Amino acid sequence: MSSERPKLGPDIPKVITGWNSRTGRVIYLTADRDWSESLADASVMTGDQAQEALRFASTDQVRVSDPYFMQVTQDGRISGRETLRETIRAQGPTNHPMFGKQAGDL
Amino acid sequence: MYRYDEFDENLVRQRARQFRGQVERRLSGELPEEHFKPLRLQNGVYLQLHAYMLRVAIPYGQLDGRKLRGLADIADRYDKRYGHFTTRQNIQFNWIRLEDMPEVLDRLADVGMHAIQTSGNCIRNVTSDPFAGAAADEVEDPRPWCEIIRQWSTFHPEFSHLPRKFKIAVSGGGHDRAAIRVHDIGLDLRRNSDGEIGFEVVCGGGLGRTPHVGVTVRDWISKPELLSYLEAIMRVYNRHGRRDNKYKARIKILVNELGEATFRSLVEEEFAAQNEREKVILPLAEVDRIEAYFAPPAFDAAPAASPTLDEARRLNGDLDRWARHNLRSHKAPGYTSILVSLKPLGAAPGDATSDQMRAMADIADRFAGGDIRVAHEQDLVLTHVRLEDVPAVFAALQTAGLATANGGMITDIIACPGLDYCNLANARSISVANSIQAAFSDPDLEDMIGPLHLNISGCINACGHHHVGHIGILGVDKKGEEFYQVLFGGRADERAAIGEIAGPGLKHEDIAPALKRVVQRYLSLRSSPEETFIDALERLGQAPFREALYAAS
Repeated sequence: MSSERPKLGPDIPKVITGWNSRTGRVIYLTADRDWSESLADASVMTGDQAQEALRFASTDQVRVSDPYFMQVTQDGRISGRETLRETIRAQGPTNHPMFGKQAGDL
Repeated sequence: MYRYDEFDENLVRQRARQFRGQVERRLSGELPEEHFKPLRLQNGVYLQLHAYMLRVAIPYGQLDGRKLRGLADIADRYDKRYGHFTTRQNIQFNWIRLEDMPEVLDRLADVGMHAIQTSGNCIRNVTSDPFAGAAADEVEDPRPWCEIIRQWSTFHPEFSHLPRKFKIAVSGGGHDRAAIRVHDIGLDLRRNSDGEIGFEVVCGGGLGRTPHVGVTVRDWISKPELLSYLEAIMRVYNRHGRRDNKYKARIKILVNELGEATFRSLVEEEFAAQNEREKVILPLAEVDRIEAYFAPPAFDAAPAASPTLDEARRLNGDLDRWARHNLRSHKAPGYTSILVSLKPLGAAPGDATSDQMRAMADIADRFAGGDIRVAHEQDLVLTHVRLEDVPAVFAALQTAGLATANGGMITDIIACPGLDYCNLANARSISVANSIQAAFSDPDLEDMIGPLHLNISGCINACGHHHVGHIGILGVDKKGEEFYQVLFGGRADERAAIGEIAGPGLKHEDIAPALKRVVQRYLSLRSSPEETFIDALERLGQAPFREALYAAS
């Protein structure tokens, strides 16, 4: 019964993700502090920069719900122990390829 | 079936209006998510992996054509043309936008439905036997009492902030098809030694991370005393249930920690201490009023067998096989109930498209008096069908893609949405279910195996009821990889038992071949073709099946 995400050390590359408060769609924080439905637009961060961005995201409640760190590689590919979960969030359900972003449903 | 009166109508409309205001305040930024979350949950709105999910209450699984068409319209207009029927006899929509929720609640209210108490620490949707009112073996139809409990528990101020969620199931006294012994409270209609009908009261059952089979706290309580007795249980729970640790807050933990005898005496003391003003005694006229909604339809006088159906079955092998697996005995001669499987091979267990919902509504209106039920096995039921009409119903279901002939069989799998949809899941459930279905897709093999209940959950919260499957499967996360533990020997009926974990988890791709070995072992060891899997398991113990499960490791 835990929707808590694993803690990531300061040096681990990460992006900030959450859900669009209005639609519920998965979104990612971009470098100019906007939100995008595409992981490719996400800003990869570490250390204090990431913490500061998460603080910003947590106050941006009109646009995003429940923002959190998601582990990625330096070049922004999903990695770490939540790879499957985050891949499904990013693409859509594996049993329903006709739904979600994998189906161009943006 | 029960129809809303003016009071119900106002209550639901008022709640929808209230939620509209809360959504507006959330979207304007006035309400932060932290404050909005408990409000949305009280209206059945979750934030899941991809989107908001709305869980709609289907009290005791009872639907009719109008309601089902209403759900189909919501699926078309606000979701992706399908819905997912759950093990709590509810339906979930997976893709609804928050900004559309108020309108969806209004549309639900238009067809006498809502999402109240489908989440939160309150008394949830009361569940029951999907064959209630039709089953040949029931003592009495349990639905009037489900409805009475629904009305009593809706917005009950004393029980709106319980230590944890609370689930009640009611069975009609025959074979337990409502899994009452694994509920917080299970009620079973039965006669006392004087022949009077009342309830056995079972308490402290549940699944999740600490599964327990409930204990009988009262062998028999009269109908007029039922609500007072339930209040006594709820008060003991409210007073003594833990609120410091949500993993230890369910009533099953309290019953287990206090011990059966102590818990029972606390309930009896509370019950005895109620003064006349406190007791909830329903006026007989009110009971009669509610029972009248569930009066059986006027059944035609018909012979017990149908030569028309017999001949059609002789000529049509598909119909014959489907009839063998999906027809259930009915209390009226010449009638049957039909289990409509929502488990076609390769689809998500419990999913139905909006077209299928409309087709079911049409079939029910034409052939089953408009009566449709949701089963906790995530299938649908047509309760009152004339045997003469079965070939026509089969043809109509075939056209709608709803004639899968696997009721109660190994491919009729109960599975939660798992990691494909659920924010709490550790592993996928649907894809495992589909791989098992593919492994047992040969109808001759499935016929040879016979009844076998297979349940899958994607995490320890056990929405797929894996503890009570004859074979249960639990998805776990092991350093970022999906693994699946297998349990043997669970059952949800009157001989309820919690399955035992067989051993280490298996990889996703190894589950189906491993279960094939287990089933082959069963086929080679059973004493006769009539000995079911669960009977053979109980006779032989887990060892030979465990050995087969890990044979290739």
